[in-house]
Amino acid sequence: MKHDLELKVQAWLDGELPDHEARRMGELIAHDSEAAALAAELGSIRQAMFRQEAAVPLAESREFYWSKIQRQIQREAGSRRPDALPWFARLRRYIGPLAGAAALGCVLLLAVVRNGSPSFDEISSTGDGMEAVTFHDQSAQMTVVWLQDSSAAMEVPSVQKSVPTEDSSGTVIDLE
Amino acid sequence: MSMDADKSVLMEADLVRMAREGDLTAFEELVARHRDKVYARAYSMMRNEEEALDLSQDAWVKGWQRLAQFQGDSSFVTWMTRIVINLCLDQLRKHKRQRAESIEAMEEDGGVERQMPVVNPNPTAGLERVELRERIDRALAQLSHEHRTVLVLHEFEELEYKEIAKRMKCSIGTVMSRLFYARRRMASLLAGVRREGSE
Repeated sequence: MKHDLELKVQAWLDGELPDHEARRMGELIAHDSEAAALAAELGSIRQAMFRQEAAVPLAESREFYWSKIQRQIQREAGSRRPDALPWFARLRRYIGPLAGAAALGCVLLLAVVRNGSPSFDEISSTGDGMEAVTFHDQSAQMTVVWLQDSSAAMEVPSVQKSVPTEDSSGTVIDLE
Repeated sequence: MSMDADKSVLMEADLVRMAREGDLTAFEELVARHRDKVYARAYSMMRNEEEALDLSQDAWVKGWQRLAQFQGDSSFVTWMTRIVINLCLDQLRKHKRQRAESIEAMEEDGGVERQMPVVNPNPTAGLERVELRERIDRALAQLSHEHRTVLVLHEFEELEYKEIAKRMKCSIGTVMSRLFYARRRMASLLAGVRREGSE
């Protein structure tokens, strides 16, 4: 018997053939002894195995078996299942942090609105009477910065070479 | 015992509902009721006690995490056995990668049994129920993972070819071929056992 036909005999037995094909196969099995014998063998195995799964007893006690499951559940999910909770319960978990963040944002916004734009005068270290003059000599790879306090009428020459320096207003001067 | 004593008298539907609401003790009661069945299914597929134990416990963890997806279309234990089957199939696929392809091809082909003439159309006739179950179990142990799995899914889980193919990630033709070979091999093994017994 061809393998295709053998598989059809099996499919007929398992009720997997469409009606018209099942009828044709039924007729074949009724008249073909080889097909009938195969159907009988496959059918007996199918019938014998039906709900005959061996009952294998678990050696572990209920507590021991459960303890591993419980540990794993608590480790993986921190004893909570977000997807199992209703949507409002899930949402409630995020309401607290979101409300806190929103309140903080409001406080900051109010502070800005009341005080106007923030002033950063303190960042500037340039005194009212300070003046800076920079000279750069390419050939000597040298930069000279004069800082002059006009109020004190005092000159402080500063010589730097190949080191970045910062002027009195806090701007970085890139030196070679 | 960590579980409330009165949980044991509750209906399954109530336990499932309580577990869905996050009651771990209700879930523990469900585990206690169905752990044997889930473990037995894992053992049928893996034929290894340690693996079956680990996979059955993993299935319960997954069951807890996916409880929201349980719609009650089937019974809770059927839903759980489907989870353990999927875990076993994943594990078997890992085993499969470690095996030689030549052996795989030989088994897929059906081996000697496929071409054997039918000598005993009813190899299980006359066997007592308990004896039959034991012999079926021993015969199943001698099948390859692929053939045993297809038999378990068809005969124990009562899945159709299409559903088996989907779960085993193969074609329906492969399912039919594996099932055919597995049944013929079972017939051969059971007939052999009977012949040995009668000699």
